[in-house]
Amino acid sequence: MPRRKEVFRSLSAAEFFYRNREIAGFSNPSRALYQTVRELVENALDACDSHEILPSIYIRIKEEDPEKSHYRVTVSDNGIGIPPQYVPYAFGRVLFGSKYRLRQTRGMFGLGAKMAILYGQLTTGKPVEIETSPLGSRYKYYFKILVDIKKNEPIIVDQRIRRLKRKSHGTTVSVVIEGDWARAKNKIFEYIKRTAIAAPYANITFVPPEGDRVITYTRTITKMPIPPKEVKPHPHGVDMEMLKMLIASIEANTLKEFLVEAFQGVGEISAEKFLREAGFNPNMSPKLLTNEGIKTLMIKLKNYKGFKPPRADALSPLGKEIIEAGLRSVLEPEFVTAVTRRPSAYSGHSFIVEVGIAYGGKIKPKDEPQLYRFANKIPLLYDEKADVSWKIVSSEIDWKSYNVDFPAPLVVLVHICSTKVPYKGVGKESIADVPEIEREIKNAIREAARKLRLYLSRKKREEEAKRKVLTFLKYIPEVAESLALLSKPPVSIANGDGNYLSTDDIKKMLLNLVIAKLERTGIKLDFNLEDFDIRIE
Amino acid sequence: MTEAQFYSVDYKQRLMAAEKIHEIFSKLIEQIKEGKNPTLVFPKRTLSNTIYDAKRKLLLLGSELQRRRFLDVNEAKKFMQTLLMAKIIYESLINNEYPTIRDLYYRGKHSITYRDLSGRRREENTWDEQKESDAVIRDIEVLTGLLREDMLILSKEKGKLVGKIKLRSGGDIIDASKMGHGAYALEPTPDLIEILDVDADFVLVVEKDAVFQQLHRYRFWEKYRALLITSAGQPDRATRRFVRRLNEEFGLPVYILTDADPYGWYIYSVFKIGSITLSYESEKLATPKARFLGVSMSDIFGEYDDSGKLVRPPYLGAKERKNYIIKATPQDIKRAKELLNYKWFQTKKWKKEILTFLHKKVKLEIEALASKSIRFLADKYIVEKIQSGWID
Repeated sequence: MPRRKEVFRSLSAAEFFYRNREIAGFSNPSRALYQTVRELVENALDACDSHEILPSIYIRIKEEDPEKSHYRVTVSDNGIGIPPQYVPYAFGRVLFGSKYRLRQTRGMFGLGAKMAILYGQLTTGKPVEIETSPLGSRYKYYFKILVDIKKNEPIIVDQRIRRLKRKSHGTTVSVVIEGDWARAKNKIFEYIKRTAIAAPYANITFVPPEGDRVITYTRTITKMPIPPKEVKPHPHGVDMEMLKMLIASIEANTLKEFLVEAFQGVGEISAEKFLREAGFNPNMSPKLLTNEGIKTLMIKLKNYKGFKPPRADALSPLGKEIIEAGLRSVLEPEFVTAVTRRPSAYSGHSFIVEVGIAYGGKIKPKDEPQLYRFANKIPLLYDEKADVSWKIVSSEIDWKSYNVDFPAPLVVLVHICSTKVPYKGVGKESIADVPEIEREIKNAIREAARKLRLYLSRKKREEEAKRKVLTFLKYIPEVAESLALLSKPPVSIANGDGNYLSTDDIKKMLLNLVIAKLERTGIKLDFNLEDFDIRIE
Repeated sequence: MTEAQFYSVDYKQRLMAAEKIHEIFSKLIEQIKEGKNPTLVFPKRTLSNTIYDAKRKLLLLGSELQRRRFLDVNEAKKFMQTLLMAKIIYESLINNEYPTIRDLYYRGKHSITYRDLSGRRREENTWDEQKESDAVIRDIEVLTGLLREDMLILSKEKGKLVGKIKLRSGGDIIDASKMGHGAYALEPTPDLIEILDVDADFVLVVEKDAVFQQLHRYRFWEKYRALLITSAGQPDRATRRFVRRLNEEFGLPVYILTDADPYGWYIYSVFKIGSITLSYESEKLATPKARFLGVSMSDIFGEYDDSGKLVRPPYLGAKERKNYIIKATPQDIKRAKELLNYKWFQTKKWKKEILTFLHKKVKLEIEALASKSIRFLADKYIVEKIQSGWID
């Protein structure tokens, strides 16, 4: 198992996020419960995915105080764990995390989990409880932490260590929050179901407050998505704040050196060429740039056509196999296919579109396609109708031309992975109509739908052949019986002698004729006369 | 007479028919063994394949062939029905039975149950209506060249006979001149009748049973040395076959007496050249030499030549005509127009008959002539018409 050193940074703004909690999805008890589950599950999966550990995730929601609607949400993983010295800051200070680097992860900055902790503390006064054993450790560390919102500092309420008999790794996070299970439950069940679709390589267990119906999704594939690599930003994707931060943090004597150091796909030659064309002195110190200069540089960087396109190795698509396995195991359809498009880019951000189509089987027919949206492996459940994928699936794809007639049991999965997903609005639940992304989604759906069409037309042909075969089969017993008698000469019937074909002999011969006829049309079917249970009454 | 002798004629016929059926259907087994789609080939029984042979004056089946294949979605059921019917007929022949077509319908009617593609149990009858089973009987007749009578399938007796003729039927000898006020009912298997002796000069076939009875009581057959037959409406196959035998085997001229309307004319043409639906039987059933005795339009209105001169006066006076004639119905008119299109009605005399009918729009029943007086009908009308006045 490769071990990576996580880079932790600290930034401050606990209060800012606390005051703007709607942005993070904690606007009411129902949404907050859903969001808490989501954040903790995503962190748990990330703790496994990025280190190529096959995840086993356990989720439990328990009613802690029925009168106050307090729920305890507990999520356990078997991920890499957290070194104990980082635990208080990782959970007790906002904007402290390992995710602040450009690479595709489920959430950005690991901020969401901290919002859940803050929200829990605010609504119930209860501290967050963490249990973790880092990879290779023989100890389990136990913490109870509160956040000092004003100071943005962790307050350790309790702390314990336990020696383990056997090495083990993973983290359990448990928060108590004010929630509304009755309202949130449908979304939470749906969220876990869709998470399981995108992670068929995980074992997921969910114990809801009722306790009597434990939901389990069992791992059906051991292949995992390749973890994303960290990459430097692309010059087209830069903004003012980012550029300022990069200038401040990168040690470079000249502007040319700075560009090579700060951005991907920029070598000395292209840096020099760009700077000369943009009217900058390549040898000036970046620290000397004025605000105006930084702004000009940003605009020039964004619009310069000479850079290489953004690299895609920061992206971690699920891949055809995983999407197909996920759709197959969770939805149990009769047909499934998936497409992973080649990497593409918009405004300096690389992205990959993946589409899966599941049809028939246990999927219930609906009047419209059932759209399952994912962004960086996270299911998107809200604001479906505002999403670019919905627009494409519902009105821009002519499903009839793919042999799909509604009501149809059709599920379309659209996964967009990007270092920057272009969400519409602050809710981060729907994706904006970016032309480059729209085009890729359309192409991916068409590619997958063509395979569906092929399947459906073959199925139709087979069904027609079966129906045809049945018209022959149902008369075989009657015909065989008649022929058995007619083929015996009258005298031999009267005397009861002679050795002639029996009804069963003729039945077999006729059945072989039917099978041979079918094979000539290129269709091979498995059937027995017995399957049709033909009787003459 | 022993039972064996009683059945002797029957037995030969049974064996012959059974062997023919066996021979035809055994070919299917050979086809199946060779891996071929079992196929029955026989002449098409459709109006388009019914042709009028003007030379032989017969309605015959044309040369178009029908191929009934088992492995053909549209034919599979018919194929099954044909085999099922053949089996039942074959069994009856071997078991010494005389089924009617209704019996055959009931014997073959049962349901086939099966599971469809979605596993649901479905039920289908081998046939639902007698129309379906009757159709396959006709197919088997065409297929084997055996008429149903040859396969000892019975139908209702309709035809009656009186006159100086001796027959052997089922081992009994029948003298049709000693039937009292009754008559000999023509059996549905006329080829099993042995005609022993005929003492008559012609055959008179009367459409109407009532007129037949009147003529019988008047002992018309004795007075004029005739064999008197009635078909009681549309003739059945046995009556047609028996009339044909009298004409063919004994050279007796055949005269047909019907109502003066399109239905009467068609009855005449069925006797003479065959029927459209059973054209494959014409060879055996039709009597091409049969003559139409009446009642004709000119019998009612008189016959005029081309210049408009009366050449033969009508049999009815103006007052009688007014009392007896009936207004033609729209269906009569329609039927008359159809007859005009049939090739065998396209002779000068027949065209004149039909056109007169279409012009006058009236019809007349034979009873009208009988009610004038039976003597008039028997001694004047029929006698005169036989001497001159029949239409071919």
